[in-house]
Amino acid sequence: MSYDKCVRCGSCLQFCPMFDATGEEQFSPRGKAYLLQVMDQIEDDEELAKEFRRLLFECSLCGRCEETCSSGVDLLRVWHEQRAKAIETHPEEFAYLEPLKDALANVKNIYGLAAEDRAIYWLDELEDEIPGLADRVYEKGKTTENIIFLGCLMSFRGSQIPVLRSLFQTLEKLEIDYLVMGAEENCCGHPLYLMGNEKGAQELREHNKKVITAAEAKRVISCCPGCLIQLREHHNLEGVEALHHTQFFDRLFEKTKKYDQKEKFSYHDPCELHRILEIKTEPRSLIRKMGIEFKEMDLSCCGGGGLLRMTDPNLSDKIIQLRVAREGVKDTTVITACPSCREQLLGQDLKTKDIVELLSETLDGGAD
Amino acid sequence: MKIRDVVIGANASMYYKLNFKNIKGVYYPKTEQDVLAAIAHAKQNGFTVTPKGGGSGLSGACTGGNDQRVMISTLQMKEILTVSKDQGYIDVQPGITPDKINEFIAPMGLKFFVAPSSRDVATVAGILSTDGGGNDTWINGTMRDNTIRVKMVLYDGRLLTVDSKGVRRNDLELEEQLNKIGMTIHDVASSHGTLGFITELRLLIRPTVKEALMGGLAEFPECNVLGQALHEMIRKNIKINYGEVITEAHVDVREDLRPPLHVVEFPVELESEMREIIDFRRLDSKELARMKDVRVKLPKRNPKVGIQVALFEGYGFYDESLIKLQDSIDSVNTLLIEHGMTPFAKYGHGPSKWYTGDNSATYGLILHSREIKPEGKRGQEMFDTVLAIVEKCNELKVTPKPEHKWPFSDEVKRKKLEEIRTVIGRSFNPFLLSPECNDILGSMV
Ligand SMILES: Cc1cc2nc3c(=O)[nH]c(=O)nc-3n(C[C@H](O)[C@H](O)[C@H](O)COP(=O)(O)OP(=O)(O)OC[C@H]3O[C@@H](n4cnc5c(N)ncnc54)[C@H](O)[C@@H]3O)c2cc1C
Ligand code: SF4
Ligand code: SF4
Repeated sequence: MSYDKCVRCGSCLQFCPMFDATGEEQFSPRGKAYLLQVMDQIEDDEELAKEFRRLLFECSLCGRCEETCSSGVDLLRVWHEQRAKAIETHPEEFAYLEPLKDALANVKNIYGLAAEDRAIYWLDELEDEIPGLADRVYEKGKTTENIIFLGCLMSFRGSQIPVLRSLFQTLEKLEIDYLVMGAEENCCGHPLYLMGNEKGAQELREHNKKVITAAEAKRVISCCPGCLIQLREHHNLEGVEALHHTQFFDRLFEKTKKYDQKEKFSYHDPCELHRILEIKTEPRSLIRKMGIEFKEMDLSCCGGGGLLRMTDPNLSDKIIQLRVAREGVKDTTVITACPSCREQLLGQDLKTKDIVELLSETLDGGAD
Repeated sequence: MKIRDVVIGANASMYYKLNFKNIKGVYYPKTEQDVLAAIAHAKQNGFTVTPKGGGSGLSGACTGGNDQRVMISTLQMKEILTVSKDQGYIDVQPGITPDKINEFIAPMGLKFFVAPSSRDVATVAGILSTDGGGNDTWINGTMRDNTIRVKMVLYDGRLLTVDSKGVRRNDLELEEQLNKIGMTIHDVASSHGTLGFITELRLLIRPTVKEALMGGLAEFPECNVLGQALHEMIRKNIKINYGEVITEAHVDVREDLRPPLHVVEFPVELESEMREIIDFRRLDSKELARMKDVRVKLPKRNPKVGIQVALFEGYGFYDESLIKLQDSIDSVNTLLIEHGMTPFAKYGHGPSKWYTGDNSATYGLILHSREIKPEGKRGQEMFDTVLAIVEKCNELKVTPKPEHKWPFSDEVKRKKLEEIRTVIGRSFNPFLLSPECNDILGSMV
């Protein structure tokens, strides 16, 4: 058990966004690892055990603790395993997650909306602006080099439309051979994975794998780091490269036109992108190729990961509010590259742009 | 019992299996007023009080033993209150870390010169309460040398200000009593939370001087040669800025290093003097940074199989025991092995400085130690090994210093703390000075 390796040095405390927001040790990685180490002393106390199970879901699974730890504690894995155990042994305490599980089992998306609507909302919105977009939606028999995996957030949320518009416009402008998985796309399984429900996640993945294979795609491209974790690490795709959109576009350009910068930018690097997928250089490289000047934000979590928006929305809000206050980004546009981070930033009335929005604007009218 | 009452027991020492039922309240104050309220709650109910900082201490002192107690954490008292560049001080709350202080004052060209390896998590009040130090203690002193004054809250709610000259407070009678027995900042240093709750510290900060430094790595065939070299540096009073020693390290954690070795950084003009004492290879800044990083991480790394444990954190080798460093280490290792422990790594600060209970400074090598946690050994057996090491240290003339501080075995220190506690009360962390201390610690391993 890797939590045994925790020497309780405390180095992870200062980096944990939960501890930062609450200031109490039980929210910290050390606190939780310690609880596991002394579990034999407390597990008979049902109230304590219950509180511990709740604490496991007060974590954004940002991975900062694991990155900091020099003692080889595989913290993310510990949190995943413990979450799975908590839900399995005490499902009644997690009844609030049932609608999500049901939605994923029945309609394969987190919103419980009809599966076939996955390519309806954004298509309605963008079809007129991007001629031929409807033909880009995958159907049986169609093949492509690049298949776009949008994920639930981008498929269903109106707030993501500007990113989608830029993504498709850029792909069109660059004459990329692509299809969007559309109604044939299942949720990637990430929410279930975050609950430790491997079996449920696997069912969703299997369908996706079939579609990607049938489309004969060489690449599957996603703007969502959570989806990409699933596609790259858990879908067992053979001969198909799973890429973040920033990786895909960065490879295409030696240099671009210069972005016509009129505002101040800061960059929020999504945790799942840089810490878990270790995609650190391409997003920055792409921004730099456009000649954009920006301020790096702290490499910390926005509070939107690990299902925290569902399990403790107040804590999730507090985390982003603290960061906004501390990092003075109100007068900047926050660049990011993750639909979930985007939602968190918009929730604080911050201006935000995905990197592909900047790219699209640059290709459209940037200075030489 | 709530989960926050359990988690407050999390600390880096091997004394972590607490009897949680006796924790009667956990507080995370933000202000002195909050501290007063927490202590008043303890007093009303007859509970003792244990202050806790980063919980990185290795003596078990921040656990409070097994008393019915209130735990007060400083983790939410981490504000910087004032910086005086001209007068060279910074006023801070007790829960701030050296790293955070330096992050704040570095742009002003200033530095706080106390650098334990745990400086990312150890709090200034915790470091003073253990009189910690780091890789530059040799030239910059221990925490007490860098603390101008502290403000403390006592069990009865009275407030004290203590500096190097004595005690000040409005209550003249108490002031007189404490000054009569000569209470100063030296007594707060290494007091392990047994006096009161530190709510504010005035710390020495100094301009960072730009000087040309040289990094070097010296390897030794065995530790006696290393010990003699350190002894010589101390004798000649060579002011090296950074000195870290690794005498042994398990193959799983030492990367490509070949202990015994000494990593040093010093002003370039000292090169020839240094060459007279050690044969070192120059390190460029990148190599030096890597060495420093390995050193900082060594105390946390685990073997591939098994888990490390800080059985006995610190040995202070000086004079004869330093000159015969290898013999001294061999003697300790033999004892460890006899007690079924496997030595894992030993590393530390050298040359370095520490204080003994009579407040006199000693110079030598502070060596930290880690062992591989033995399977199936009872806590009490492990604790018996600790006691045997204390005895061995006395025999070898090594200062037994679990994390540089062992108030329980230093009779002079212990006596002085008792004297002060007769005046101010005995309700802060009393287990440490009680006859049952060893039994209590043994039960928590
Ligand atoms: C990986 C690692 C490396 C280390 N390296 C070093 C090193 O290089 N040098 C070194 O000296 N030590 C080192 N240590 C030991 C440790 O970091 C120090 O002992 C440190 O001073 C403890 O500070 P803390 O804030 O964590 O205090 P804690 O462990 O929380 O408490 C230590 C003592 O201080 C008391 N205390 C805390 N706050 C207050 C307060 N406000 N008022 C009164 N009493 C208080 C507590 O009651 C307790 O007795 C290391 C530890 C680890 C885990
Ligand atoms: S950094 Fe690692 S070893 Fe240290 S307290 Fe955190 S989890 Fe434990
Ligand atoms: S994953 Fe992130 S939020 Fe969760 S314990 Fe680790 S640092 Fe804290």
